[in-house]
Amino acid sequence: MILLKLISWQYVRKHLLRSLLTIAGIVLGVAVFVGMHTANQSVLTAFTQTVDRIAGATQLQITAGEAGFEEEVLERVQNVPEVRVAVPVIEAVATPETRSKGNLLILAVDMTGDRSLREYALEDGDDSFIEDPLVFLAQPDSIMITQEFAAENGIKSNDALTLNSMDGPKKFVVRGIMKSSGLTSAFGGNLAIMDVYAAQKVFGRGRRFDRIDLAVQEGLRPEEVGKKLEQILGAGYQVESPSSRGKQFESLSSVYGMLANITSLFALFIGMFIIYNSFAIAVTQRRSEIGILRALGATRGQIQVLFLMESAVGGLIGAGLGAGLGVLIARGMAGSLGNLLGEIYGVAQKAEEVSSDPQLLAGAMVLGLITSLVAAWIPARNAARVDPVQALQKGKFQLLTAGENRTRRGLAFLFLVLVGLSLVYGEGRLIFYAGYFLSIFAGVLMVPTLGLWLAKGLRPLLKAIWPVEGALAADSLIQSPRRTSGAVAALALSVSLIIALGGMTQAAYASIEEWLRIALNPDMYLSPSQNLTDRSFRFPAAFAEEVAKLPGVRRTQFVRTVRLPVDGEPVMFVSLEVASIRKEVRLPVVSGDGDKMYAEAAAGRGVIVSDNFALQHKRKAGEILTVNTPEGPLDMPILGTVVDYSDQKGSILIDRAVYEKYWKDDSVNVVRIYLDEGVTVAQMRDRVAAQMGDRYRYFVFTNEDLRSYILKITDQWFGLTYIQIAVAVLVSILGIVNTLTVSITDRRRELGVLQAVGGLRMQIRGTIWLEALTIGAIGLVLGWVFGAVALYYALETSARDLSGMRLEYSYPFRMALVLIPVILGSSFLSSLGPAETAVRGSLVEALEYE
Amino acid sequence: MSKWLWLLVAGTLWAQDARQIVEESQKRHRSRSQQYEGVLEVYDAKGGKNEKRWQFARIGSYGESKSVLRFLAPPLVKGVALLIHNHPDRASDQWMWTPELNRDRRIALQDRSTRFFGTDFSFEDLEERDVDQSDYKLLGEVALNGQACYQIEATPKKTRASQYAKTVIWVRKDILLPVQFEMYVKTELTKRMVHRKVEQVQGVWSTLELEMNDLRKKTRTVMKTEKLKYDMTLPEERFTLQALRRGE
Repeated sequence: MILLKLISWQYVRKHLLRSLLTIAGIVLGVAVFVGMHTANQSVLTAFTQTVDRIAGATQLQITAGEAGFEEEVLERVQNVPEVRVAVPVIEAVATPETRSKGNLLILAVDMTGDRSLREYALEDGDDSFIEDPLVFLAQPDSIMITQEFAAENGIKSNDALTLNSMDGPKKFVVRGIMKSSGLTSAFGGNLAIMDVYAAQKVFGRGRRFDRIDLAVQEGLRPEEVGKKLEQILGAGYQVESPSSRGKQFESLSSVYGMLANITSLFALFIGMFIIYNSFAIAVTQRRSEIGILRALGATRGQIQVLFLMESAVGGLIGAGLGAGLGVLIARGMAGSLGNLLGEIYGVAQKAEEVSSDPQLLAGAMVLGLITSLVAAWIPARNAARVDPVQALQKGKFQLLTAGENRTRRGLAFLFLVLVGLSLVYGEGRLIFYAGYFLSIFAGVLMVPTLGLWLAKGLRPLLKAIWPVEGALAADSLIQSPRRTSGAVAALALSVSLIIALGGMTQAAYASIEEWLRIALNPDMYLSPSQNLTDRSFRFPAAFAEEVAKLPGVRRTQFVRTVRLPVDGEPVMFVSLEVASIRKEVRLPVVSGDGDKMYAEAAAGRGVIVSDNFALQHKRKAGEILTVNTPEGPLDMPILGTVVDYSDQKGSILIDRAVYEKYWKDDSVNVVRIYLDEGVTVAQMRDRVAAQMGDRYRYFVFTNEDLRSYILKITDQWFGLTYIQIAVAVLVSILGIVNTLTVSITDRRRELGVLQAVGGLRMQIRGTIWLEALTIGAIGLVLGWVFGAVALYYALETSARDLSGMRLEYSYPFRMALVLIPVILGSSFLSSLGPAETAVRGSLVEALEYE
Repeated sequence: MSKWLWLLVAGTLWAQDARQIVEESQKRHRSRSQQYEGVLEVYDAKGGKNEKRWQFARIGSYGESKSVLRFLAPPLVKGVALLIHNHPDRASDQWMWTPELNRDRRIALQDRSTRFFGTDFSFEDLEERDVDQSDYKLLGEVALNGQACYQIEATPKKTRASQYAKTVIWVRKDILLPVQFEMYVKTELTKRMVHRKVEQVQGVWSTLELEMNDLRKKTRTVMKTEKLKYDMTLPEERFTLQALRRGE
């Protein structure tokens, strides 16, 4: 501790800027980790809080996936003696026409029995007068809102509130304002209660409920009653605690969580090189100091601990700052991330408050600390090995020994062989990822050698263009590869990350656009919801049938999308008329016989699954997929796999007749319409309007609208990738600034001598600028090469563990070219400060340095 | 006969008497059918008043009756109806009809303890119970409003689900008509129902005005009966779900 105060603190004070730059990598890595996870956690917390608050005293919830079930199930449940109270529920999100923006979560219940489960504290404290319960039930336009929502929108009791319903915009009457309580804070206070039977009409549910909430008789264990209910109802129904809905959402958004991990770990990994670089140089610079300490009796262990302690303190400070910055980032992105996840997965939540998880923050601190310690381990060990006699001699420390280089090359070669073997025998996840990491290590180990070769290769060019500055810059890099290798490695890794992400994005866009071209080829679509992923509203089958009969309609296809549990996870089922789809759409076949699989699926003799479902659930064509339906288990052969991007977690195409038969659900989410030749979308829009009038709520989407909508969501999703790219660029710039700052300090004497013998300030500046540009160029070239490998692994990771999307390898040459001005420009900018420092320092001090 | 055995026999006879009183009371006031128009006045804790009118019809009685209750006013609730099928051996079946929604809903057994549309009655309070659905104990003879009454404690049998642990009933000795009920949830007295206006209609002693007090919420509901008639001919078909849906 005394050494830390006497030696390290003095050093930090003297090199404050460098110290700050050193920990900046940790700050950024931890900030990204905390920010992305906190935002994700906040969205998840918002969802589970809404679920909890809405659940009230509910102990169990009965669902049949998202498909819902017929009313008679309620009576069966209510007749089970162990059930104290069971009430039907419909939950939906609607858009109110109010001055405050945001959706309203509608909780539709049977008010006659629901108060046994939920506490509706009304504003006046008594429910019998302020709002008449009989009027509430008698009038289907009755709605009860929260005090918060009422205050925000200036709504009073008996005021009208317009909501978009299946029958078009519909005026509701506020017949109850709930006092603030746990329930009213659900969904950020944007909660409304209405009668479940009225909601069936408003949301197009027919005579079905979304779920049943229940409480068991006193003294009984909910789990045991749940098992009994499952036996009575059959496996097609899920009887779970309300909290399990949070787990389902977590499972849906796991892709995002994994992406957040990859980004932050990569940022930390790059940050590690910056720390390594700084410490390696610090050890070199402080050799004489170490020598004196050793001569005075300090042990090797004490020296090593001293450097590790410095690193630990730096790591902790960096992690602390990063955690704070991360929470700020999370505040900025929680709302938009909530909307994005809501749009992608169609799950209602409202993330407005950021909840920082102490465990996450503690984990981030530990991560920052470990990263810092790992990065400083080798420099600290080298410091401990310093020979006191040699240390007190000047000028022998910049050389990277030939032996050291040989060892690195040898290790790199060994790693490359292992990587090759892992690719040949890498079916297993462990071997695959081991190969991935070894490839990174091999690349990092090769950086000094490759950097040296490239610097040597660039020297003639630099000398030819700028005889003095160019030669000096190249020589500086050639003579002290250790000083620059960390920065070059950080930069190369950043560039490789950008190439990998850019390549993956490019491939994903290409694949999605191709899928859009093939799968989404109708002329227009009708949807009951403005947000196509929202399944709150559904058309009754009668609506779709009326549309089909309109003149000018060549073909219609009724689509019902619904998440149902498969292997315990919610999976998107796309129910449609396969025979009709077969005539218009041929999704690219991955396995199975194209013609046969469609014919068999149309006959209801099996299902077609998407490639990403097959990959994520490890299923193959020919296997039997057992789906639990309300009618009992349904065994369907997997007829084949196709490329389909309907859902990130995979999709199952099932014939509509089979779905209707087993789930007793004939509602429709989307009507696909193909028009007769010569009929325009505008004409058909008018015909639909004339036919339907105000009887139904519907939105018309043209083919172009739908494509734009899907591409907009894709853009939002890949917006996260751009965050990763920005982080990568930022970290690499930090690396260059750090290296140059160190380099200037390190070469103060050399630069001083140059000035003393007549070197112009402009020449010194030029040397520093060229040095930065050369580091940038070397990092860029190595990054391009590493990126080619990283892209392969990124695509494989995506296919294996992220979305299951099998994307074509295509090197992002355009992005690689865009990186030239970005990286070289950043390198140049990052050299401006250090260059000025180099020319403005005192010449006398510079000559006395060391 | 030991003292204890005597007490046991005496207790059984006492209980037998209580049951007989209730049975006799039901028998005396039995009618084949009944019809009236009622007014419900619901008073909140602050004295605010809400009024509704309804029409009530019943055929059969005590445990085997079927009744329909249809609201007439105010306009927002007009046409809302409740159909009750009472059974001697189990809880009644109840359905509610909401004309604006054009559909019926079943009132689940579990929901019977909830308030009947904001009044101080619960759905269970509207049921007519067969004498065999409870055990009875004669607590004594007391005077109520100057009238001599039997005070009887009715405890629901285990087979009969009820929100109440017990109900204490005051039955006028002279006409054997129940004139006051006190309902207990667990051990707490929660509600009191007082028959305030009692008259003979077509030779049947009938309650024309009663008041239900919720002692916890400090609210009360007054129910007034008008145009009361007994033993008219009412078609059985009128007391079906189909008729309910037709608005009959």
